[in-house]
Amino acid sequence: MRSVLCFGDSNTHGQIPGRGPLERYDRNTRWPGVLQSELGPSWYVIEEGLSGRTTVHDDPIEGAHKNGRTYLRPCAQSHTVLDLVIIMLGTNDLKIRFNKPASEVAMGIGCLIYDLRELAPGPDGRVPEIMIVAPPPILDDVKEWKSIFAGAPEKSRQLALEFEIMADSLGVHFFNAGSVCSCDAADGFHLNAESHRALGAALAQEIEAIGWPTQERKS
Amino acid sequence: MRFAPPNPLRIADRASGLNAPTVRSYNERLVLSLLLQSSGISRLEIGEKTGLSAQTVSVIVRSLEQEALVSKGEAQRGRVGPPTIPLSLNPEGAFSVGVSFGNDAADVALIDFVGKVRYHAAHPYSTLQDSPVAIAAKIEEGLLALPPASRTRVAGIGLAVPDDANTSGQIRKLLGRDLAEVQANIERKLGLSVYIQNEITAAAGGESLFGVARSLSDFLFFYLGSRLHSRLVLNYQIHSGRSDLSHDVGLLALLQGLDKHGLALSDIGSAKLPDAAGEFYQRWQDACCRQILDSAHALLSFVNFKSVVLSSYAPAVLAHDLCERLHRELPDIAFLLGPNSTAPKAVGAASLPYHSRFMVQ
Repeated sequence: MRSVLCFGDSNTHGQIPGRGPLERYDRNTRWPGVLQSELGPSWYVIEEGLSGRTTVHDDPIEGAHKNGRTYLRPCAQSHTVLDLVIIMLGTNDLKIRFNKPASEVAMGIGCLIYDLRELAPGPDGRVPEIMIVAPPPILDDVKEWKSIFAGAPEKSRQLALEFEIMADSLGVHFFNAGSVCSCDAADGFHLNAESHRALGAALAQEIEAIGWPTQERKS
Repeated sequence: MRFAPPNPLRIADRASGLNAPTVRSYNERLVLSLLLQSSGISRLEIGEKTGLSAQTVSVIVRSLEQEALVSKGEAQRGRVGPPTIPLSLNPEGAFSVGVSFGNDAADVALIDFVGKVRYHAAHPYSTLQDSPVAIAAKIEEGLLALPPASRTRVAGIGLAVPDDANTSGQIRKLLGRDLAEVQANIERKLGLSVYIQNEITAAAGGESLFGVARSLSDFLFFYLGSRLHSRLVLNYQIHSGRSDLSHDVGLLALLQGLDKHGLALSDIGSAKLPDAAGEFYQRWQDACCRQILDSAHALLSFVNFKSVVLSSYAPAVLAHDLCERLHRELPDIAFLLGPNSTAPKAVGAASLPYHSRFMVQ
């Protein structure tokens, strides 16, 4: 069986648009669940979504544990052996408190890739396949999040290009989630059930397109 | 650890669609060459055949997809193993024009990225003014066959010229003495790169890139035109030896003989032929076969090849009969007929820009 770690924020966690952080879609509705049913029993899909997670920043308000970088290593090691790591982060980095341009968010993603390569949690201690997923752009109307995400919608539209440049230069897989789904109008930056379904199905295709030689391995 | 921003490697060139030949990396060319040889292969197979990692293949394929040079098929499910997504060259991804110079006419052919002829016209020399400008105008006519949006995707122009182009009558009148000047003139006029090659070598190259020989690394190539010409292809390299060598057992000799009986090439295969010139046709076939077999036999003592490719604009029935007969005489060798029957040399010429811009040599 092959395993894939889905490392993301609230949109991997499955937070329902317009509701609080404790309200979450069920496993089959969330994109990692959709991915699981699309890929079938030969894949083990590990969900690792945390609301408010950033790429490399300790959040001064929500807490240091929102830093994706400090958690990625122990997380990846816990779940070894990993054939594939999908990273879908970046939205929270656009909060005004971090004051980062899209290109620097992409550099944060680059750090995570370096860490994964150093840790090498893949089969036989090798580097697993890595896929960066650019989150869909934030809508212009983010309701009561307006001040927190000031300037973020504009920057979020640049994420896909900046992430792809990073993916090309580091030689990892890339997928633009915005090509198959969009954020829900209820809060402007979370995915609804339909978007989760579309994203899960599209990522299953992307994973299959990588090409996996048939082989037996105990996990 | 990298703290500097990454170089925008391929993204920067994407706006242009077709980028400069020097920009395209060896690995990209490798993937394109592979897709040309076997369309519908998966990224996994590309990785296996090239030794490139899955992630490298992913980056290259994504870039080629964005440039619309490669397109993705539907996932193939229901077989043993994981589903695979086949990749192919996008026929609309690039176009190219080739010009060849025959006895009485110049052929202009426009092909797409998988070698399909999208436009072909034969212009008798009598209709062309004696200058390269006339050729440029005819090439331009061919380019107009493309929808406007595709005209930016023309990779270049190929000219297939005979060895005696600057010494013999009508072609010299048309092109002048200096091929480099012709090249520069057309490039200036049309704003596209022009590549020039010997016509028979170009035809062999076209057959090797798009034709029956596209998966063959070694074969003996015959071009049956007015005369019979040959090339040897070893490890995808075309060897010409004495490139001006040809044999007078070609279609011109046949045509002249038929003419005496009031027949034309198109009568071959019809009921008229056996009565009027059956014996003559038989003799011509004998001579042509003997020449091909002699060359093949002679080479077999030095080189081990399994295939002979015959390319010709002759009527299909003639070329087909010839191949069958050759195979009977030499059963260990596969005799394959090139499919570009309209204008094999022009199609070969049109393949020249692809060779230079997209393929590994």
